[in-house]
Amino acid sequence: MQQGAFKSMGVALGLVMLAQSLHASDASDVSDWSVAEDILAIEGDREYGAYLSSECTTCHQTETSTEIPAIAYWPREDFVTALHAYKDKVRPNPVMQMIAGRLSAEEIAALAAYFENPE
Amino acid sequence: MKLNRRNFLGTSAAVATSLSAPMVMAGGHGKPRLVVVGGGAGGATAARYAAKDSKGAIDVTLIEPTRQYYTCFFSNLYLGGFRDMDSLGHSYGTLASDYGINVVHDWATGVDRDAKTVALAGGGAVPYDKLILSPGIDFIDGSVAGWDLSAQNVMPHAYKGGSQTELLKAQLMAMPEGGVFVMVAPPNPYRCPPGPYERVSMIAHMLKETNPTAKIIVADPKPKFSKQGLFEEGWANHYDGMIEHLGPDFGGDDVSVNPADMTVNIGGEVVQADVVNVIPAMKAGRIAELAGVTDGNWAPVNAVDMSSKADPDIHVLGDASSQGDMPKSGFSANSQAKVCANAVRGALTGSQVFPARFSNTCWSLIDTDDGVKVGATYEATDEKIAKVDGFISKTGESADLRKATYEESLGWYAGITSDMFG
Repeated sequence: MQQGAFKSMGVALGLVMLAQSLHASDASDVSDWSVAEDILAIEGDREYGAYLSSECTTCHQTETSTEIPAIAYWPREDFVTALHAYKDKVRPNPVMQMIAGRLSAEEIAALAAYFENPE
Repeated sequence: MKLNRRNFLGTSAAVATSLSAPMVMAGGHGKPRLVVVGGGAGGATAARYAAKDSKGAIDVTLIEPTRQYYTCFFSNLYLGGFRDMDSLGHSYGTLASDYGINVVHDWATGVDRDAKTVALAGGGAVPYDKLILSPGIDFIDGSVAGWDLSAQNVMPHAYKGGSQTELLKAQLMAMPEGGVFVMVAPPNPYRCPPGPYERVSMIAHMLKETNPTAKIIVADPKPKFSKQGLFEEGWANHYDGMIEHLGPDFGGDDVSVNPADMTVNIGGEVVQADVVNVIPAMKAGRIAELAGVTDGNWAPVNAVDMSSKADPDIHVLGDASSQGDMPKSGFSANSQAKVCANAVRGALTGSQVFPARFSNTCWSLIDTDDGVKVGATYEATDEKIAKVDGFISKTGESADLRKATYEESLGWYAGITSDMFG
């Protein structure tokens, strides 16, 4: 298997996993939606991500999923893809659309870098 | 592309300003000292983040009189029978054991801004380099004629979590069949803008099950209120004919009460009530006034770091602050606390200070699985915390979406209380 194909599959599996953890209101079909390679390639500032993460942790716990999914240890590309799906209003939850809507691509990358391994 | 610290700093005037401020280091007394007064959504969060992120470099003391904190948010769900009181109670044990915070269960009774100490009711004083005040609200004497704190056992306010909420529920449970419940709603600004109307919804839900011929009257000084269209739609759908909302056109701004005979005078009409919930006009918790950082009823702050406009070494969070566009809510206080903790840590240890960013969402439950929400993001300007973007639930939404919104609020409650108390 080509490395690129394997990577795409990984992203697709990640999206399935994410979709399963979303609320009923978020159960949109995002399987054919993707983020541009140059956005996925942005290397995030982890320390800035740690600061930005405090906006997330009002609702999301890092390791315990409630009615709202936990967000620690998500693969970086899955995280970036999910946040851009909200930013671009592909996913419908208005809280997440609003929060992601004002995050720049660099800030999303910073959050992804932090949440990939928040310890 | 990599966003490194150098070009990040280059793009942010706010950060440059913050970093150019003189750093407050410990003045020959060991670690720098942060004292936080008030252990609610603002204070507990600020103490936890300052302790967690400084990794022991800051000596954090949290002064909070209660050993078990009962959240005011979600207390309406207790009235409606959706939560029990125990589920709203939280201890400070983890903040002490896991975060090394010195939790002092006492009342702060004064602030000596020259000596930089906080006086305690139990005696003694706690020194600080930076002080965060997050005392929540107190009530304005005389704002509802005939009512004062001595009447709160007869006509509870139930607008601070815990025993007052339990008292109101007990009174509602004991209300005679077909009885009358009156709420005296507060004028703006006040804690939790949708709170009185969620409360009306939850009481209607409870009475519909236990006392369906009971009546609810709301005397309201405001011509408009938060999520009004959503609440009015919900009341018509679920509680038709049960709730009468009397705005200023119907005397809602001209109310007096008589706790001795349980009457409420609304614009000259005397209502004989069985249960009366008086939610008076509000002001900053008293310690803010004692510290001399209030102007009128609230404590003005600088949006960039929640510092008091009267004293750069005092920060004021949450309901007590006057900051601009954010509603007074637990979510807002929690959001402000993180901005403040980041700035205070920077001032005390030299750590990097990032630009302020704020957000808020308020969920309200109208009936079983019928949840609605309103939210916004905010930024710091020179003048105030200014709204950037927002949303609100729509009338006519599907039952599935309303259920999902309610379930989201349960996740938020678990999240924010974990964020506050560890």
